[in-house]
Amino acid sequence: MDNGIVIFAHNNRQMDYAKMAVVAGGLAKKHLGYPVSLVTDDSTVDYMKTSETYKNANNVFDSIILVDRPPQLQQRTFHDGKEFEVAPFNNSNRPNVWDITPYERTLMIDCDYLVFSDTLNNYWDVDQDILISHKYNDIIGQSRTGYHDTYVSDTGVKLFWATTVMFTKNDQTKIFFRLVQYIKDNYKFFADTYRFDSRMYRNDISFAIANHILNGFQDQEEYTLPPVFSTVDKDILVDVKNSTLQFLSSPTLGENYLAVSSKGNDIHIMNKKSLERNVDKLMELI
Amino acid sequence: MQEQLKQALDFSKYRETFAIQRKTLKEKIDARLTYGINGGIFKINRELINFVQMLIGAERTEGVVLLDVNNNPILIDNLVEFKDEILDRYMTSTLEYYEEYQKLKKSRSVESLIAD
Repeated sequence: MDNGIVIFAHNNRQMDYAKMAVVAGGLAKKHLGYPVSLVTDDSTVDYMKTSETYKNANNVFDSIILVDRPPQLQQRTFHDGKEFEVAPFNNSNRPNVWDITPYERTLMIDCDYLVFSDTLNNYWDVDQDILISHKYNDIIGQSRTGYHDTYVSDTGVKLFWATTVMFTKNDQTKIFFRLVQYIKDNYKFFADTYRFDSRMYRNDISFAIANHILNGFQDQEEYTLPPVFSTVDKDILVDVKNSTLQFLSSPTLGENYLAVSSKGNDIHIMNKKSLERNVDKLMELI
Repeated sequence: MQEQLKQALDFSKYRETFAIQRKTLKEKIDARLTYGINGGIFKINRELINFVQMLIGAERTEGVVLLDVNNNPILIDNLVEFKDEILDRYMTSTLEYYEEYQKLKKSRSVESLIAD
C-alpha cells in the first residue's frame, strides 16, 4: 500500500505557515520514513520563493500540490505568551484532503505538529479506515485541560483532535469527508443542534460530529490515534537545544511560568509565533 | 524570613518542573510501548509478555489469536517472533526510562532538569 503524509499550509500576512510546514514535514519524513506532500496555494508558493523556504520545501516534500486558496472567512486571536494578535485563519479546506491526497493511506498532520518519534508508524496497518486522535494531552497535565478540550460543548459529544488524522482512501472514508464538508457548510445548523459556539470554525468539531453521526449517533473511542501531546498558545517555545524543546509554560494560563522541556515526544505547538521564531533551529533537526 | 520564603518558592518551582518532566518522560515511554501488527494494536506490558510466554511454554506457538487493545482478534503466525519483538521493545524502552529518570533525579536545578 502507498502510505504518505499530507500537510496543509496557507500563509497570511502575519504567519508563515509554509515555513512551519517545511519543519513539520521534514521531521515527519525523518522519524516516520514516509513521503510527505504539501498542500498549498499559488500566493504562498510565491512567498516561499522569496526565501530559502522554497528550496527547503523541494528537499522535504515529495510533491507540492496547488489548490485554490480557501476564503479568509474568519479571524482568530493568536496568543504568544501574554501577547496576542488577531489574524486571519485559513483552515477550512481540510475536508478536501480525501480528493487531494496522492496516497492510498494518508496521515494528515497540522503544520504545528512536530514528529520526534516513530509512534505513528504503528497505525498504518491498523484495520480501520479512519483514525483520529480522541484526546488532548497537555504538557502541564490534567489541571489545564478544560471541559471543552474533551467535549464539543457543555451538552455535546466527545471532541476529536484533527491535528492527526489517518485514513484509507475508499468509499467509506469518502462518505466521512463529504459529511465533514457538509457540516462545515452548514456549521450554524450543527452548532444549534450540538450546542457549540459557531463563531470560530473548528475542524476538530466537524470531525467529531461526523464521527458521531457515522457511528449511529454514538460516541466511539476505539480505533483512535494516540492523544495529541500539546503546549497551548500561552506557552512559549523559548529555545531548541539539540533535539530538546524548551518551553515556558504557565499552569494558570498566563501567570507563574515554569520552565519545562520535551525530547522525543511528538508535540503540538499551538503558539505559532514562538514556533516561527525557532524555525531555523528546528530546521537543523531535519 | 524573606530569603527563606524565596528559597521555598524556588524549590516549589523545581518540584513542579520535576513533576512535569517525569510525566512527559513517562508519556514518551508509554508511546514507545505501543506495537502495531497484522491490523491490531498492542500495548506492551508485563501482562502481555507473561501471557505470550505462557502460551509459548504450552507449545502454542503458531497461528495463535491474541486480543488487541480494542479486543479485536489478531492472528499471530509466529508467536516466538512476536514475543522476541515485544520483549525487545519492552527492554529497550524501560532501559531508556531508567537512564533518563536517573538523569532527572540527579538534576538539582530547573536548568539541569530541562537541559538536553
